[in-house]
Amino acid sequence: MAFFSRIKQWLGRIFPQGPAGEDRLLLILFGAVVGICSGLAAVALNTSLHGMESFFGQYRYNWWSFLLPGIGAALSSIFLEKIIREGAGHGVPEVIYSVSRHGGLLRMRSTFSRLVSSSLTIGSGGSAGPEAPVVMSGSAIGANIAKAFSLNERHRIALVGCGSAGAVAGIFNAPIAGLVFTIEVIVGEWTALHIVPVAVASVSGAQISRILQGNQIPFTHLHFDVDVITTVAAAGLAVVTAGACILLTRMMRTSHQLAGKVPVPLWTRAAMGGMAVGIIGLFLPQVLGEGYHVIREMVEGSFGGGFSMVLILMLAKILATSLTLGWGGSGGIFAPCLVIGSFAGLMFHRGVDAVLPGFLSVNEGAFALLGMAGMISGMLQAPLTGIFLIVEVTGGYETILPLILVSVISSTVSHAFEPSSFYFRDLVEKGHYLRPRTDAKVLADLRVSEVLEKDCASVPKNMLLGDFLKVVQQSRRNYFPVIDENTGEFAGMIHLDDIRPYLFDNLLHDTVFLEQIMAADTETVDIDDELSDALDWMDASGAYSMPVVSNRRFVGMVSKATLLDRYRKELMLQTTE
Amino acid sequence: MQLSLEELAGCLDTHPDIVLRWIRQGRIPVKRRQDICVFNPEVLEKWAAVNHVSFTPPEKKTRPLLEEKPSGLARAIEKGGIYYDIPGETVSDVLRSAVERMESVAGRRLKDLLLEKLLDRENMMSTGIGSGAAVPHPRSPVRHEADGQPEEQMAVCFLSSPVDWQAVDNKPVFVLFIIVAPTAREHLHLLSRISYCMRDNAFRDLIAGRPDPEDLFAAVSGYDSRLDAGTA
Amino acid sequence: MQMLHVFRNTPHGREELLQTAQFCKTMQASPVVYIPEFTKFLLYLDNDVVQVDLDKTFLRSPGTAREHVEEIMAEMDVDNWRFFVPRHFSTPFLPDVPVGFHFMGCPHTIADLRSKAGAGYIGPRIRRILASAAFPLLLFSPVFKPFTRIAVMFGGKANAATALRLAVRLHRLSGLPISMYTAEEGRRSRKYYEKLLSKNALTGVFAQSVSDWQIFPRKEFVENLYRIPHDALVVMGAYGHGTIRQLLMGSTVEIIQAHLPNNLLIAGPHYRGLA
Repeated sequence: MAFFSRIKQWLGRIFPQGPAGEDRLLLILFGAVVGICSGLAAVALNTSLHGMESFFGQYRYNWWSFLLPGIGAALSSIFLEKIIREGAGHGVPEVIYSVSRHGGLLRMRSTFSRLVSSSLTIGSGGSAGPEAPVVMSGSAIGANIAKAFSLNERHRIALVGCGSAGAVAGIFNAPIAGLVFTIEVIVGEWTALHIVPVAVASVSGAQISRILQGNQIPFTHLHFDVDVITTVAAAGLAVVTAGACILLTRMMRTSHQLAGKVPVPLWTRAAMGGMAVGIIGLFLPQVLGEGYHVIREMVEGSFGGGFSMVLILMLAKILATSLTLGWGGSGGIFAPCLVIGSFAGLMFHRGVDAVLPGFLSVNEGAFALLGMAGMISGMLQAPLTGIFLIVEVTGGYETILPLILVSVISSTVSHAFEPSSFYFRDLVEKGHYLRPRTDAKVLADLRVSEVLEKDCASVPKNMLLGDFLKVVQQSRRNYFPVIDENTGEFAGMIHLDDIRPYLFDNLLHDTVFLEQIMAADTETVDIDDELSDALDWMDASGAYSMPVVSNRRFVGMVSKATLLDRYRKELMLQTTE
Repeated sequence: MQLSLEELAGCLDTHPDIVLRWIRQGRIPVKRRQDICVFNPEVLEKWAAVNHVSFTPPEKKTRPLLEEKPSGLARAIEKGGIYYDIPGETVSDVLRSAVERMESVAGRRLKDLLLEKLLDRENMMSTGIGSGAAVPHPRSPVRHEADGQPEEQMAVCFLSSPVDWQAVDNKPVFVLFIIVAPTAREHLHLLSRISYCMRDNAFRDLIAGRPDPEDLFAAVSGYDSRLDAGTA
Repeated sequence: MQMLHVFRNTPHGREELLQTAQFCKTMQASPVVYIPEFTKFLLYLDNDVVQVDLDKTFLRSPGTAREHVEEIMAEMDVDNWRFFVPRHFSTPFLPDVPVGFHFMGCPHTIADLRSKAGAGYIGPRIRRILASAAFPLLLFSPVFKPFTRIAVMFGGKANAATALRLAVRLHRLSGLPISMYTAEEGRRSRKYYEKLLSKNALTGVFAQSVSDWQIFPRKEFVENLYRIPHDALVVMGAYGHGTIRQLLMGSTVEIIQAHLPNNLLIAGPHYRGLA
């Protein structure tokens, strides 16, 4: 630790702080370092993926080859759960969760765990992609570098973004996609503080991958003559890809729920899912693995089979992907999306061609490419990521017009049916989808303890009303917590408005105890409850404040007045750049 | 510059937990070493201006106006004085001679102003609160451009002979508690205290006997301390 | 003030909960009992996230766990306690445990002591929790035995003041007497430590709260641990040393942990005092 803080001090001397204490220059340097590291992780994953593929490939032609994906998935599950004890989820949602709630803190073990497990899953034939594992690794690298240098949360989040950008840029050789994916999906904040280091990380991640693996464009293609008809037809394709997105999303969910009901250990579950994929693969080997060679064939326009064959393949790929990921295999959704998307594009082209021969002048490869963009945009509901990723992985800038169209329409249509994307759905359901500069984020940052008002005099429940009036005389507040004087426990609340009728009745002064007039069933909030819950309750009941009670002891009050003051300060702080 | 977390929270007029979180999140240009916050005041001031956060640097920090507790009755009477045998047959005569006698209202112009305001108030409605006492007071603080304003005080004036004051109980008045206060809050405070005392039989009996200053002070201080402690 | 306790439904776990209950009762804190449903949970500390891996014993007989906790609390006459149910999950099987507590009870498996109990080994996880937590950790003894005094280890430049502050705080809460123990290191004599007291503005506190101060040479550290009463809660600070130094000599915490069966309360460098 001392070593890192010394380096930080030393760097701090070289790179001066900005006027408001910002370490932007320093952050650029860190961004480059993180980008290089996550680029290396991407290269490592790619290499090990190829290694695994050739290792499992030698058994591919045995009759028992359908067992391979099962073995791979089981091994990857055992590795994650028993050896690393990761308690793994999908990957990307965990990164977003940590960015939303915990300032981007990620575990050290996450820097490498998914690389191993996903290369086992994918290399053995599981239908999944390498991007979620590499994003997880890259982000964890960023988070742990930030931790080593004790950077604050904002900077740590920026470095988590750098890690994810470098990783995506490295694995796809797509620097813009890395940048856009990170900002659009992971960080959710388009500010210079984030964009600058993330861009630097993207560049260095892609550069490292180019140095080590050469500057390859994954899916090269012939030149497409894109005309106005293509652009119009793209709108139709968008509906098809959106449909595929919805189908995939729902299949994943159903298969995940189904898997949850099977009472066997996680690794057995993964093995069962993998085996099922292996059986599909016996008949349709195109669905196995990340499937890039299939895409390549399709984009080049050399993929055989008719319309129905492609349709079956698309459905089989959707099924295989949901079996792999839903049952506990380790991997991402990008690559399957690309495959499904290109199947969808091809299918659309062949379908239109069958009905209206010669209507589409452009090669079917162009539609495979557009299908990929539509699928990615629809699945992530991140149109920019879809557009830039496809342009970069295919080098097909001439298709940009239909590409944009298919991306935005596809993501809009799938949004209409699935309001939150595959990555965000669980987060939204659990209230963890906290984007910067939103009400939810500001409220989640404020703690009950931060808005607690402690200047409330409490009164014993056996006090006479007459004596209570003297307390009221001395007090500036309208609310009085009532305490059981024997146990010290909170008994109820007295609000002056509620007891006004009794206040001026002298007869009652010496006959009524506070216990008799207090509101005993008052809703209370605990000191470590969420502020938004307290606020919801106040809104529902029309109250302006509520008591905070912890372990049955009165601690203080939260009121909308104080809350507004703090909330406003916080909002201004979080929204000024 | 170094401040403790609590001090810095005070400067920023917010909760220490919030400052702690701001530091952790990197929203504020402050570094923390355990409970000590290290920062550059100029940078922090600039940051505060940009982010609309109020920041009062500790050295410039004016002591928060201590909730000045209005002084008690005893102190006000000490200031205002106790006078015996105030002559006069009518309300205005009595008030005029009382104001003349009041030593702590210095200067012709202030005395005239005070008298004018007291008479105004009496013309509105009698200040006789019953049991032979009246609490003459101006409706608004007495202030003169040149001579300033008199301090918070209460003059206790025993009349040479009871005067009809049109009091609530129609009893003639034999003692005046003239209240002069610079603010409405202090005015109300003195008024509420003297009316509290007058509700007490023991105090009424004491006053009726035209007590010596020592006895009066002792009694009034007793009420003060009880009211201050909130036990009365 | 609240103390987090991770409960396991075994006889060992009962001893641990009894210790937490007594500690909380003495220090006027309220126990917050977590009955884990998974073998791991995450602690998101200020600058670190620590994954705590529990062993299977923590998941044993979940049916009777709540009942047993209630029984133990009733037996110890502690009423201001509650259960903790995690509200947030990093992944479906990985709950987050908040870190706003003032103490945390540390079962032996978290400390990873079972395997290396003899060697006096504080698990790396404990080290990491200590390195960034704002709360002190209470290391349990194998068997519950109420403590009736506080023994503070006043040594090491940074740890000494932290430990004494914590001890004084506990003394004020509980009224238990404090005895202070210092191992003279090298040329540091009593004068040095007195200076350390005044430098940290602790001289007055020391005079008021500490009833006796024993100084012994560092070389006979282990032998002199016998001076620490058997019924004392041992309070000490832990500061992150370099890894190399740790490997060579082992930290003081580890030596004490290995040789003292007492309850041990350790505060890390980020211990912020009890608000």
